[in-house]
This record gives sequence, C-alpha cells and structure tokens, in this order.
Amino acid sequence: MPSLRFLAAALALSGLALSAPAAENTKVTLQNKLAQCQGCHGIDDWKTAYPEVYHVPKLGGQKAAYIVNALKEYKSGERNFGTMHAMTEDLTDDDMKQLADYFAGQGGAQTAEATPAAAGEKK
Amino acid sequence: MKRIVKGLLLGAIALACASAFAASGDPEAGMKKSAPCQACHGPKGISVSPEFPNLAGQQEDYIIASLHHYKDGHRKNPIMVGQAANLTERDIRDIAAYFSEQKGLYVKD
Repeated sequence: MPSLRFLAAALALSGLALSAPAAENTKVTLQNKLAQCQGCHGIDDWKTAYPEVYHVPKLGGQKAAYIVNALKEYKSGERNFGTMHAMTEDLTDDDMKQLADYFAGQGGAQTAEATPAAAGEKK
Repeated sequence: MKRIVKGLLLGAIALACASAFAASGDPEAGMKKSAPCQACHGPKGISVSPEFPNLAGQQEDYIIASLHHYKDGHRKNPIMVGQAANLTERDIRDIAAYFSEQKGLYVKD
C-alpha cells in the first residue's frame, strides 16, 4: 500500500507544479521544477516507497557535477529508477545545471572543499 | 503445548535480536574497511573530485542500497561495480555506518 500513498503524494505535487506556472506564460519555471525535487529531497527522513524502501539521499552540499550526471543518467534510463526517470524526463541540461548548483551551493562542511570553484573551472 | 509456545517465543526473540544486530554497522570497522573508498570519496566522505559524490552524512540506508545496487548490477558505474563486487553484507553495513556519521551532506530546504 505504501506505493499508493506515494502515488497520491506524487500526483498532488505534480498538480501543484502544473497549476502554479499558469501565471507565468504557462512556462514551467525552475522554481516549479525545484518544487518537484523538494517534494521528497526537501523533507527530513523521507523514504522511497517502491520498489525498495530507504531514505532518499540528502542533496544539500552534494557535488554539482555529480548531481548533473545522476540526472542525465536517470533521464536516459542508464540509471534505472522509475520515479527519478519521470522527474527528469522534461529537464533540459540547463535545468539540471541550475538545480545541481542550487543543491551544491552554500553551507555545510563541503564549502571547505571548494566545489563551487571546481565546478566553475570545468566550464 | 506450553513448552512449544515458550520455545516459539524464545525463537522469535532470538531472531529479532539477530536481525537488529545485522541491521547496524560498526563505524569504527567501517573506517578501516573504507580505505579504498576514501581514495575517491575522501577520508571523511568529502570527495576529491566534482564527479564523485560526497558521502559524509549521507543516509545510511541509501548508501547500503546503493552498494547493493552496484553489487547486483542494478547500477552500472564501472568503477563502483568493481569496488562493490567483493564487499560482504557486513562490510557494506560497516562502511555505510562510517560515512553516514561524518558531517557534510544535509537536507536542503
């Protein structure tokens, strides 16, 4: 049954994401895309429901390049997880970069490792 | 009849204890076992390259699930498939316990 509960939550969230941008030329803003991430990754102790149950990974302070790669792999199906495939299907490379920068940015022990600088150098 | 019930009860308790024990890794053992991991993911789970994820403070059960996925081929990163191939269940839990208790990643709102 947890999968039903999860589906209901996912539907509710995607409903939110779809209804909000109507004000903005029907264009789905990055803010809306972020809201989709945060529906799971922004909640303490949130867990997956299907096909296995475990905590969703923390993204705050994660390496931006790693997040971009992960999103691309989910989108292409190389990394096989239904929920994340659905979440990434309509993300552009630029969306991925911006979402990754958001999660990688500011705070945490990670700033000492100069990830933002390293990500900048790669360009 | 009473003896059977008692026996079953004891068995159930023993099983519960055993599974509770199996569920928790030993971070100190994990620190030693994770030497190969540390080469890329950093001694305390802050990785040495933007391509490699930080593990410090990551959810323990997510690390365990990821290592299982590399081991069973569900996740295919060639470096990690090789690294995870020879880890035992005990190793996986110890390593996950070590990295998850380091300071680093957080739930960003």
